[in-house]
Amino acid sequence: MATNNFFKNKNGEEVLSLYWFAIILIVAGGIVGMVFVFYGNPYDVRDIEANLLIDKIADCISYRGKINENLISCNDVKEFDFSQCHLNFDGEEEEFFYKVKIYQLEDLENPCFEKNGGNLNLEASYAINEFSENLPTGAEKSFYSLDNMENQYIIKILAVVRKIKQNV
Amino acid sequence: MRGLIKNKKGSDLLQQYVIFILLNLVFLAILLTFISSKVRGVAVLEESYSKNIALLVDAATPIMEMKINMEDAFDTAEKNEILRDEIVKIENNSVTVKLSADSGYTYHFFNDVDVTVFADVYPNKNYIIKINGYK
Repeated sequence: MATNNFFKNKNGEEVLSLYWFAIILIVAGGIVGMVFVFYGNPYDVRDIEANLLIDKIADCISYRGKINENLISCNDVKEFDFSQCHLNFDGEEEEFFYKVKIYQLEDLENPCFEKNGGNLNLEASYAINEFSENLPTGAEKSFYSLDNMENQYIIKILAVVRKIKQNV
Repeated sequence: MRGLIKNKKGSDLLQQYVIFILLNLVFLAILLTFISSKVRGVAVLEESYSKNIALLVDAATPIMEMKINMEDAFDTAEKNEILRDEIVKIENNSVTVKLSADSGYTYHFFNDVDVTVFADVYPNKNYIIKINGYK
C-alpha cells in the first residue's frame, strides 16, 4: 500500500492513494463513455413520425367517427389517393410506407378496402425489425368507424419509416 | 513528497484533505465542462430543434400558431454571429436549423402545409411557427 501513496501524513495514514484516483478515473471514464454513446447517436424520432403519419391518415379518412365516404368506401370503388390527405413526400418517397385496410365488423379476415403507398419493400423490413435497429421502424393502429348507413367498420393503418441515416 | 504539503506545525492532515477535495472539485469541473459542451454542442442543438420543429409541423393543422422556446439556440447563434432571423428556415417541406456559419441540420416533414417561421420580438428567445393552410 505504501508504494501507492501520493501523500502520507506523519503517522503513516494514507490520505491520497492511487486507488482513489483510479476509482475516480473509472467513474469519469464511464460518464464520458455514456455521454459519447448518448450524444454520438442521432435522436431516433421515427416512432413518433410513424404515429403522426397514422394520425394524419386516420383524420383524413375518418372524421368524428364517420368514414369520409367522399374519399374512401367499401361499397363502391373510389379513386382514393393519399395526396388527398395533404401528405407530401417529395424527395423522400422511398423512406415511407403506409397501408390502410378497412374491415366490415362481420368479417375481420378479409378487408373490404385496401390501399398502400410509398416504398413497398419497407413493409417486409418492418416485419422483421426486431432483429436489428438498422431496419425501418413503424407503428400500427386500428380504430372503429361508421359510414353514413351506420354500418360498422374496423380501420387498420400501418405506417413504416426508414430514415436510417438521420435516426440511427 | 511528504514535505510538499506539510505546514510548519507539522499538522498536515487538514491540508492534505483540502488538496484532495480541491483536486476532486477540479476534476469534477472538467467533467461537467465536457458534458456541458457535448449537451449544448451546435450539432446536438441543431439536430434536436430541427427534428422538434419538423414533428410539430407534422402534428399541426391549418391556422395553428406555435411558439417554441429556443433559448439555447439563440445563445449559441449569437456567439457564432448568426442573425436571429436566420436560425430556422423552412423550404420545400424541410426544416433547416443553422447555429454556426459552417453547420446546419435539415429534416423533412410530410404534412403538406404552407408554413411561416419567424423569430419572436427581441429580447424574447422564441420562434413562432405559423401554419397558414394546406398547399
